[in-house]
Order: sequence, then structure tokens, then C-alpha cells
Amino acid sequence: MKRKLIIVLLLILILGLLAATAYAHGAKIEYTVKMAVEIRAAYDTGEPMAGGQVTVYAPDDPSTPWLTGVCDDKGRFTFTPDPARPGTWDVQVRQAGHGDMVHIPIGEGMATTGGTGLSPLQIALMAACVVWGFVGTALFFMGRRKS
Amino acid sequence: MHIPDGILPVAVSAAGYVSTGAATWFSLHKINQKENPQAGIPKASLLTAAFFVASWIHIPIPPTSVHLVLNGLLGAVLGYYAFPAILIGLFFQAVMFQHGGLTTLGVNATVMGVPALLAYFIFRLRNVVGKDSLAWTGVFGFLAGAGGLGIAALLAAVILVTTVPSHLDVEAERAGIYAMTLAHVPLVILEGVFTALVVVFIQRVRPELLENG
Repeated sequence: MKRKLIIVLLLILILGLLAATAYAHGAKIEYTVKMAVEIRAAYDTGEPMAGGQVTVYAPDDPSTPWLTGVCDDKGRFTFTPDPARPGTWDVQVRQAGHGDMVHIPIGEGMATTGGTGLSPLQIALMAACVVWGFVGTALFFMGRRKS
Repeated sequence: MHIPDGILPVAVSAAGYVSTGAATWFSLHKINQKENPQAGIPKASLLTAAFFVASWIHIPIPPTSVHLVLNGLLGAVLGYYAFPAILIGLFFQAVMFQHGGLTTLGVNATVMGVPALLAYFIFRLRNVVGKDSLAWTGVFGFLAGAGGLGIAALLAAVILVTTVPSHLDVEAERAGIYAMTLAHVPLVILEGVFTALVVVFIQRVRPELLENG
């Protein structure tokens, strides 16, 4: 009697295992939401830095490249920073000795947009101030020469 | 030509500061030997302003665009004042517009300032053939302007080509540097002509401004 019961239980177990392997023909999809960073690199003239070489540095190791890549023809490059490494990610774009580095905070203090560079008005104003400084220096020394 | 921060290895940046220090000392030493060292300052200051804004004048030369540098002109007109003038101009470009960088200030000043001094020596050769001649002033003005920029472009190319970091696509980067250097050829001619026009104009209006000892 006992033996019969054990055999029945074993059969059920085998059937169960068969059923479990049969389930492998189904599918399942998991998801986690990750955040991607898109950068756009352009020269001062506004021309996109097409083909610029991108180097991404992780916050905890700013000396070894974490990822390298190339900008598309509109100067764009997209990467997904590792969310387990919060901090400031440094992205450098370089082409023919020209280039810039942008610092992207990931994690705390995160901003959705940012960049380097100045508006044309700021540039004009600062240039005017500096030029006036040079002209003033010239006038100062001219005045001394006369007296 | 303005090499930004983060492109060059630390050793090259440091070497740039060393050579800039030496060239600045040499220039100031020569200026100090003049009868009145302050006499050239108004001229130097105005041309520093011109140098400072010249880098915003972009000239499209496909596939890229280049900007005026004017280091040859500064050399021809300012003589030994040219190196400090370029150093100060580059400093303000780096601080105000991140055009160039503070770590690479020494390298950039060497790349543009030393050819400016060479341009001055070229321009001074006109004394040999007769410095009152407008034609010779123009010819040596062209040589100084073109030579100053040409040597600077070559120096920058050599420094960049030899220091491409290995994690990049070295071949693509080098090809880019060669293309950028070639794009400077029309600019070399343009700056030569511009320098010639300026020195001929000065020679005609106030020739004493070109007398640099």
C-alpha cells in the first residue's frame, strides 16, 4: 500500500517536472527603466561636430575611459550611464585637436539639460569689456608719454 | 590652433609653460633694454585687443572653418612686445570664452608666440634691402604674416599628432588633424596679404611706428 502511494507520488512529480520544462516554450519580458544621456557637440560656429570622438569617464574613475564612441553626422551621441555609479560623469568630444568636456551630474542634483558655451550676447558683452580694458591701457600709457 | 583643456598630456602642458616662461623672460629682457620700455605699450595693447577679437572672425574653408590668428602681424609690428601681447590675449580668450584653456595656455602661447618672434626677425630683414621702400615693406610683411601663421599651424599639428591618446581612433583623429592643418593654407596666404596691407599702410602714414629695435 505504502509502496503504491510512493509510486503515485513519484509519477506526479515527474509529470510536474515535464510540465515545468514544457513551460519553457512560453516567454516573459522584464523591464527596468534606465536613463540615457544624449549629447550634441558643435563648434563655436554652430556647425555640428560630425564624427567627433566621444570618451565617457565614470565618476569614480576619471582617468580610464568608461566608454568610447563616435558622434553621428548631427554631432549627437547617446549613452546610458550606470545608475549604480552616481556622481559627475565627464564626457569629452574631440575632433582634430578641437574639443570640449561636459560634466553631467547623475543621481543627486541631476539636471535634465545643461551644457557648455555662452550665448552670443554674453560673448559680445565680455568681448567689449576686455577690448575696452586694452584700449584703456593704451590710452593710459599714451597720456603718460605726453606729460 | 587654440588647443583646449583635456586634450594634451600633463607633461606637454608643463613643457609648454616652461618654454612660455623662457620666451616671456627673453622678450621682457629685450624690451627692458630699450630706451623707453613703456613707449611700445599703447601699440601693443591695441594690437592685443585686435588679436583677442580676431579669433571670432571665422572663415569657412570646407570641410571646416578657420579663424584669423594675426600672430605674424603682431610679430612684424610689435617686435619683442608680440610675445607678451599674445600671452595676454590668449589668457583672456581662455578665461572668457574657453577658447583654448588655462592648462594649455603655455603650449598655445609657445605655438603662436614663438612664430610671432620669428615673423619679427623675418620682417626685420627688410632693413637689409632698404626699409623705406613700400614694395619691400609689403613683401616682408607678407612673408612675416604668412610665415608666422604657417609655422604656428605646423607646430600645433606636430604637437597634436604625436599626443593622440591611444583609446581614441588614432587614424581618424590624425586624418582630422591633417585636414585641419591643410585648411590653414588659404588662411596663411590671407594673413600674409592682410599683414602686408597693414604694414604698407603704417609705413605710408606713420613709418616711425614700425621702428622696433
